[in-house]
Amino acid sequence: MARAGIDQQTDMEISAPPAKRCKFMATEVDDNLEIKAVLTTEYKKDITLIKVHSCQLETKQQLQSVVQELSQKLPHFHHLKRVSDRNVLICPTAEVEHTLEQHLQGHAFSDSVVKALCRDVKVIEVPADRAKLRMQYEKMKKYWPCKFHPDKYAESLQNGSNFTSKQRIFHKQMAQLLRSLTKNVNAGQPVGICVDPRQPSIVAIAGSNDTCSSSHRHCSMLLVDYVARSQQGGATQHQVDFVQDDDASKTTLRGIPKAFHDYIRQDEAYKDVQCGAQMSVEYEQQQVEATADNLAKYGPYLCTGYDVYLLREPCLMCAMALVHSRVKRIFFLLPSDNGALATRFQLHDVKELNHHYEVFQFITDGT
Amino acid sequence: MAAFMEEAFVEARRARDAGEVPVGCVFVLGDKVIARGGNQVNVTRNATRHAEFICIDTTLAYCREKRLPARQLFSEISVVVTVEPCIMCSAALHTLGVKEIIYGCENDRFGGKTLVDVAAVVGTRIDIIGGVRAEEAMDLLKEFYKGENPAAPPVAKKKK
Repeated sequence: MARAGIDQQTDMEISAPPAKRCKFMATEVDDNLEIKAVLTTEYKKDITLIKVHSCQLETKQQLQSVVQELSQKLPHFHHLKRVSDRNVLICPTAEVEHTLEQHLQGHAFSDSVVKALCRDVKVIEVPADRAKLRMQYEKMKKYWPCKFHPDKYAESLQNGSNFTSKQRIFHKQMAQLLRSLTKNVNAGQPVGICVDPRQPSIVAIAGSNDTCSSSHRHCSMLLVDYVARSQQGGATQHQVDFVQDDDASKTTLRGIPKAFHDYIRQDEAYKDVQCGAQMSVEYEQQQVEATADNLAKYGPYLCTGYDVYLLREPCLMCAMALVHSRVKRIFFLLPSDNGALATRFQLHDVKELNHHYEVFQFITDGT
Repeated sequence: MAAFMEEAFVEARRARDAGEVPVGCVFVLGDKVIARGGNQVNVTRNATRHAEFICIDTTLAYCREKRLPARQLFSEISVVVTVEPCIMCSAALHTLGVKEIIYGCENDRFGGKTLVDVAAVVGTRIDIIGGVRAEEAMDLLKEFYKGENPAAPPVAKKKK
């Protein structure tokens, strides 16, 4: 496989400054793997329309008084321009119980404005929601002039330019590590990896295990407990040998089972991969500036600021466990029949939850 | 069955006294409590150690010890818990196929019934009865949240 090809391709895609010669380039990376953001519904292609009453004013001189009363008495359509030439949006048809005239009178419009608005009334369709992405905006403006505030980060998630080529290579390397550990160490059972993206460095690795017949011990559940081990916590008695820390060590390997760690250290492909978690703050007090995020300020707490890589899309139980654990981003390789991030449900689209992670899926060519 | 709610409350108060979010749970088989527990999130630094999961683990150990098939045993278990199970716990209990869930107050932040239709996502239905001594369960939570969770970092101010 042509390594130079990867470099060129990703650089072109992201139109970022030319990437520095990256140390991960020494690693074989799966060329056909793409990383796609699993976006929530508000970023989807399809736009929703609603039926509204609109009218054409007789003269432009009426605009000022009409718009003023409309914005006070029927404050709708903040995502749309209220006026297009002499055409004015009045209100959604669903709101009008009897006639439009009665509706306006009920909202205490002045007689002259009621008269102006009830001329040449039509029912038209306009976009129901605000445009989040330019692609949506382009579609929406065909129906009615819209307001649009571009969100650079959302656009980059949508078109895949959110990662630098160095980050992209690291994510792909983790995808490959998931496959290797699953196949070569964990007898084909799914594996999960938790990474502190700041270094980046592996905090914990967990593989689900056939012999613990308990159907709820999926690898995400084990993974958050191994992360807890790295913070001097952890709940379950695991039939697993973990790496022991040196006394001199500044980071901890307590979250990584020995078998996985040995494999990584012995495989040439992962010689650049860092392992070890930052110690809890009781063990190390850090000086940081006030603008830093919670992970930098207070040290490890649950999985705050950490990324999780999973062989399989998590089920609803695991997906919610990762919300409780305050994971920053989830990357998964294979969809699951009972998957709760893309296949059966999108837990990260439930607005009422108190934490939301970003979700990415590795897509192989041809799948 | 609601009589077992008092047992769940004992566990909830025990959790509160240990500095944990006061939620308690018991698993009932026939007329016997076979597992009991409260939240252990702060002591374990593991946000998934909810009362229900403590009971699930105890029950699995019980099955191993008595050499009983777990799947069948779970199908006969009534889960009695002071607060509506969260999405994670509810999904686990649906997957394990327990007989029924009886809970105290609703959980409008994480509720497995209030917020997400867990049964539809998991694909199994079980009987769920809520509102048993709900006010008492809610009072325990309110009392707890008046104080601060000692393990959590300060909440970041919302950027405008």
